[in-house]
Amino acid sequence: MKRSYIIALVIVALAVGAIVASIADSSTYATFETAIDNPGKTYHIIGKVNFSKPFEYDPHANANLFCFYMMDSLGVEEKVCYNNTKPQDFEKSEQIVVVGKMSDKQFVAEQVLMKCPSKYTETKKSS
Amino acid sequence: MTYIGEHLIFGQAGRLFIVLAFTASLLSSVAYLFSAFRKNDKDAWKPLARGAFALHGISIVSIFGILFYIIYNHYFEYYYAWFHSSTTMPTRYIFACFWEGQEGSFLLWTFWHVVLSLVIIKKAPQWEAPVLSVIMMVQVFLCSMVLGTWIGDLHIGSNPFVLLREHPDFAAMPFASMSDYLQKIKDGRGLNPLLQNYWMVIHPPTLFLGFASTVVPFAFAMAGFMTGKVREWIKPALPFTYFGVMILGTGILMGAAWAYEALSFGGFWAWDPVENASLVPWLTFVGAAHVMLITKRNGNALMSSFLLSILTFVLILYSTFLTRSGILGEASVHAFTDLGMSGQLIFYMAFFAILAITLLIINWKKIAPAKEEDSLTSREFWMFIGTLVLLISAIQIITTTSIPVYNAIFNTKHAPPVDLIDHYNKWQVPIAAIVCLLFAVGQFFKYKKTEMSYFIRKIILSFIAAFIVTVIYQYYMELPRWQHVALLFAALFAACANLDYMIRVIKGNITHSGASIAHVGIALIMLGALVSNSKKEVISQNMNGVDLGKDFPNNENIMLTKGDTTRMGNYFVTYEGSKKEGIHIYYGITYLKLNNATGKLDKQFELKPTIQLNERMGNAAEPDTKRFIDKDLYTHITFAELDEKPDESSEYSEPKTVMVKQGDTLTSSNSLIVLEGLSTKVDGSKYGLSKDDIIVAANISATDVNKQVHYVSPVYIIKGGMQFSDEAVIDALGLKFLFTKIDTKENKIELKISEKKSNRKDFVIMKAVIFPHINILWIGCVLMIIGSWIAVRKRFAELKRVA
Repeated sequence: MKRSYIIALVIVALAVGAIVASIADSSTYATFETAIDNPGKTYHIIGKVNFSKPFEYDPHANANLFCFYMMDSLGVEEKVCYNNTKPQDFEKSEQIVVVGKMSDKQFVAEQVLMKCPSKYTETKKSS
Repeated sequence: MTYIGEHLIFGQAGRLFIVLAFTASLLSSVAYLFSAFRKNDKDAWKPLARGAFALHGISIVSIFGILFYIIYNHYFEYYYAWFHSSTTMPTRYIFACFWEGQEGSFLLWTFWHVVLSLVIIKKAPQWEAPVLSVIMMVQVFLCSMVLGTWIGDLHIGSNPFVLLREHPDFAAMPFASMSDYLQKIKDGRGLNPLLQNYWMVIHPPTLFLGFASTVVPFAFAMAGFMTGKVREWIKPALPFTYFGVMILGTGILMGAAWAYEALSFGGFWAWDPVENASLVPWLTFVGAAHVMLITKRNGNALMSSFLLSILTFVLILYSTFLTRSGILGEASVHAFTDLGMSGQLIFYMAFFAILAITLLIINWKKIAPAKEEDSLTSREFWMFIGTLVLLISAIQIITTTSIPVYNAIFNTKHAPPVDLIDHYNKWQVPIAAIVCLLFAVGQFFKYKKTEMSYFIRKIILSFIAAFIVTVIYQYYMELPRWQHVALLFAALFAACANLDYMIRVIKGNITHSGASIAHVGIALIMLGALVSNSKKEVISQNMNGVDLGKDFPNNENIMLTKGDTTRMGNYFVTYEGSKKEGIHIYYGITYLKLNNATGKLDKQFELKPTIQLNERMGNAAEPDTKRFIDKDLYTHITFAELDEKPDESSEYSEPKTVMVKQGDTLTSSNSLIVLEGLSTKVDGSKYGLSKDDIIVAANISATDVNKQVHYVSPVYIIKGGMQFSDEAVIDALGLKFLFTKIDTKENKIELKISEKKSNRKDFVIMKAVIFPHINILWIGCVLMIIGSWIAVRKRFAELKRVA
């Protein structure tokens, strides 16, 4: 019987380890304010793109730099720069999530995740 | 009011069959239950149960047929047809429309349950009553998902036969009260362009057959409780379990192949929650299959057989909840509409979990662990350890995948790890290595007990072979981390050992080689995944970009102007131009190689990545891949101007302002610009300068794509205390320079550079990635499927021999 207890113990320890690691590695949904207060720390920020301000994307100068203005859920607006191409259909995004951290002047995004509701639910209009 | 042109009869028939299917499954379940618990040999309940089951099956098939007919004929008065199909879409994707929606996928699931039930009746007739009683109970719940009725304020299920004008989104619209509204609907909304792919036709049915298969060991386990035959259920359930493992595995791999081939995720596995949601039950399913084998062999691990069979089925329901409730929200690139049925799904999950656990506790004594432990040198012991390792793997994956669920329960704001792939790989790569090691040695342990000298004599050959291959392979491939090397060795060891077992121990007897072939397959899948992922190389490194520091390390996309040739990795690439065909834009990318003998560039092949236009649902980019024996070259358009015509006017664009110091390099769309230096020895006579005035010229060179260098010197003047600049132009390149400021502190000057708009020719931005040795992975997939199939056939044959 002893051996089964040892095995069970190891399994439980590893399972707890996996759960702890998951929590330790997890990031946080936050607002720009938190990101500004903790520069250098990575956050997930949910918000909306401010379409009234122009995007900065000049593929001729740098195909891997795309900047835009985004408002978080509290209405705070920040410039967000993303080190990649301008995502397809960025104009159609309603809600976006940016993952990254605050630098001196702007929010530097490692990932930009878009949800385009139009892709999955129809605009309520017929013919 | 009557509406013109509607085909109401189909919807009415469809609704009727749904109600029939629901009622019949309930009746059948109850009747089978009575049949299972009958006191004497007279089984009056069975004919009733079977009749109800037949009615249920016929109803499900009819619902299938009617819904398919409605979609096929584009009867847009039905919301489902309108929402999921369109007339412009190729007919071959009709099936894809069917299961794009939740209702269709639930129907598919119920359909497979009916098919599996028929096979159970045929292959395990003694178990028909208790097992089908459970499966029909599951059908009651699944059918309720498409019922679409209201009980008070509670909405039960979403009916696929709802009319467009009755749908909650449209019922209040003016058109819903116009008798000729159908004439105004020109076309359906259509299938998401991303899903217009042959994978969408075959992947969901396979995956759902895998989902459906998990009910079999679960139902047999429950039947074991019901009949008191707590051990006997294992044997008849085993072939179905292995079949399910094979099909679910195939379905998951198909999804991965689809993601790799057609979607632009840049790989075949991204640890996306939706992928994880089906991987986790597969892992526990594999575990269930293996502990069931142990139980069948020596009666041990019975508790684990019960627990894992139950867990797998509950996890399938949980996974359905994750992907169908919209709870994953921001966490997934996939998105599924929430039809407001998450409550229903949670209820089902809870119902079956509580039912199963209650029965388990009641029968606890009967299934208590055996006194005698398996020997350390028995195959059973190591199979059991392997199962536990798979369980750890599953726990780790589901814990992180469920972060959105904790947020919903505890109202927290946790987000998934930032580097998701690294987070998972950190755990899963070592786990995969352990699993591979276990099935390298596993087969050489005999059941019950093994002589160590026999074991070592047998295994040493594979060990040495794997070691040598690992050393050679690592020498050439240079995998970056020790975990990778460990997995490399373990996978090679597993492949060698299983191959060796097949040749030397079972002497090539195909009937008995199922497990070995499948294990070689999985080892190769691990190997292919490891090498193609850890050594994947983005060759489209953008070299002309300004270094943006470590905040912006990404330069994985390269810009190609039409007609120009750029170096990329070992290749040169030319963008030939784009061509529009229907809703697709094809971008011609030619790959060339330098021929050292002639010094010329020879064309190697052309790839045509596409962008599929879809105004309403968003454009979708689709990569094109050149397949070599030893690698894949993947090419994907990440950005292209879709509508703007290149400007042919001679106007200059808005100037770009930059601060530069001597030696700095800048880029324009057609050249590399370098500030060579500043000079005060300028002939200022044309500006009429006096002695006290200052004139400075910025000597600038611009190198074009043909390596020709152009020089230009804009000047900055202070005359009579006033500053002004004079522009300088390179006509050949369409570049204009203004020297506007001097910063003596930083030793920098300010330049304003503008380009002729006509410089900005047709261009694309693309990404190219090499996946080395990925074919090992595909070969592994095929072997795994073939091996599992052989094993399944063998297990079914065993069943027959006894019966």
